[in-house]
Amino acid sequence: MTTHLGIMILFAACVSTVFGTLMHDQPRDQLRLGGRIFTALVVGAYGLGWLMYFVFG
Amino acid sequence: MPQSTSSQSKAGADRARANDAAPDAARVTRACAVALLVPGLGHVAVGQPRKAAVFFVVLMTMFAIGLAFGGRLLPFALEEPLVFLGAAAEWVLFLPRVLAGLGGLGQGDVVAATYEYGNTFLIVAGLLNALITLDVFDVATGRKRP
Repeated sequence: MTTHLGIMILFAACVSTVFGTLMHDQPRDQLRLGGRIFTALVVGAYGLGWLMYFVFG
Repeated sequence: MPQSTSSQSKAGADRARANDAAPDAARVTRACAVALLVPGLGHVAVGQPRKAAVFFVVLMTMFAIGLAFGGRLLPFALEEPLVFLGAAAEWVLFLPRVLAGLGGLGQGDVVAATYEYGNTFLIVAGLLNALITLDVFDVATGRKRP
């Protein structure tokens, strides 16, 4: 779990749970928003990582 | 004349309704204060226990992970503005921050590979609690539907 990817997934899970719960009242909406934020954080960070690798690596 | 009396009574009724709807300042302050003290407690105060439970579990988990990763409970160092801001963010989780400090936790293991991750978890936990407290304020003042 102490790999960069593992910690990033853990962090994204925590943050997306809080935002999903904060922004909506219905569990279904909360789950949907939380999932979208989680995906955006993980995919965005992963994509940005590869972008930096190609640009600066 | 009857029209004037009617409009006055209507205005009085509007004022009374506005007073009824006006948020109780003491209640709002209390809700925000307990929200800053313990994550989730503010949502208990405004009648949203399910959200409160989620916030408590997630933020306490983030705080514990931050400490377990060797994160540091940052001091208010004016000569280092970023450290100062980090400390301010950590203090938004007031009670966990105080208890961790009293327990001698959060000394910061700078040589640990997870040191910066730990700091990030500690700081972000505090910042999320600031957003949660703003949500409590909105609900308590009636800006947001409970």
